[in-house]
Amino acid sequence: MSGYVFWGIVLALIVAAVIALRIWLPEGSAGRKRAKWATWAFVALLVGGFLHYTLPQHDIVRVVNTYQERQDLNDWTRIFWSSPDDQSTGLINRDVQFLQTIKANGKPMVYRNEDTSWSWPPYFKFDTANLQAEAEDLKSTAAAPQWVSVTHYGWRIVYFSAFPNAVAIKAVAGPDVTIIPWFNIVFFVVLLILVLLFRRMWLQFRERSIDPVLEDMGEAWDSVDDRADQAADRARGVWGRFTGWLGTWKGKSRR
Amino acid sequence: MIAFLRLAVFGFIGLSVLYLLLSIYSRSVRRETLEKTWDAENGPGGDGAARDAYIEAGMRDYEKSLRKKLIWLVYVIPMIVIGVTVYLVNYQ
Repeated sequence: MSGYVFWGIVLALIVAAVIALRIWLPEGSAGRKRAKWATWAFVALLVGGFLHYTLPQHDIVRVVNTYQERQDLNDWTRIFWSSPDDQSTGLINRDVQFLQTIKANGKPMVYRNEDTSWSWPPYFKFDTANLQAEAEDLKSTAAAPQWVSVTHYGWRIVYFSAFPNAVAIKAVAGPDVTIIPWFNIVFFVVLLILVLLFRRMWLQFRERSIDPVLEDMGEAWDSVDDRADQAADRARGVWGRFTGWLGTWKGKSRR
Repeated sequence: MIAFLRLAVFGFIGLSVLYLLLSIYSRSVRRETLEKTWDAENGPGGDGAARDAYIEAGMRDYEKSLRKKLIWLVYVIPMIVIGVTVYLVNYQ
């Protein structure tokens, strides 16, 4: 199953769940309020998870080995692998390069090393082979460690054999160096600016395009109301009532 | 190649939508500013035709302004970002 089908199904399920909840829980009920909270929590989790998976992170590790292994890619866990070139979307299996590393706390971490090319996520990584060579060059032993910072995205999920994708590798002084995530800082600032911009654009649109229409509708309704009142005023007395009744035939009906 | 075309086509569509929305927003903000300037200088009510003429003249100026041209950056900036990313990821 391809990634598009998978995410399409996920999206369809979310939409179906929202529609079902709207029908089952009427407006204003306690259940509706809880459902609203749950929905927002779910959306926050989804967006947070997506960003956590996609944005780059840095690990300080020690490279111990690199290897290449045939991977079967024809089930839903395909979403955890890249599409380095056009054929790769149709291939059932192919060779993938890996970096075996040990973290500062002694725990192992294995990265895959794959091109993202022009596909998602937009790292535009084409230098897999070079990165493998650099990693090979930075290999070290526990006795004489060479610490490196591996820039990567993705998650290591042991159960699904999912690996984060290494994007860059750089030698660092020691296991305790602090790496400032400049890219993520800039990314979130830009994201905040874009969100505020879209909010501003929507408010402007509402103020200039929707509210005037609603006002017009309100005014139209008021004028209908006024005419009805005037008709009621004129309807005092038999003659007045008669002209008032005649008046209701003029122009728009008073409903 | 197909992945590149997909990025190019969907990127172009996405950025065009953004361009359209931004130009509508920018025009709307300019028109509102013109309206408010006129109302501040001439008070409420008054000559409706002169007000319209003033606003239309202001909008014609806007069509030639730098601000309108700057909205083209919507297409330019992402391409620069992609170019810089390709360089930093692969040649650094």
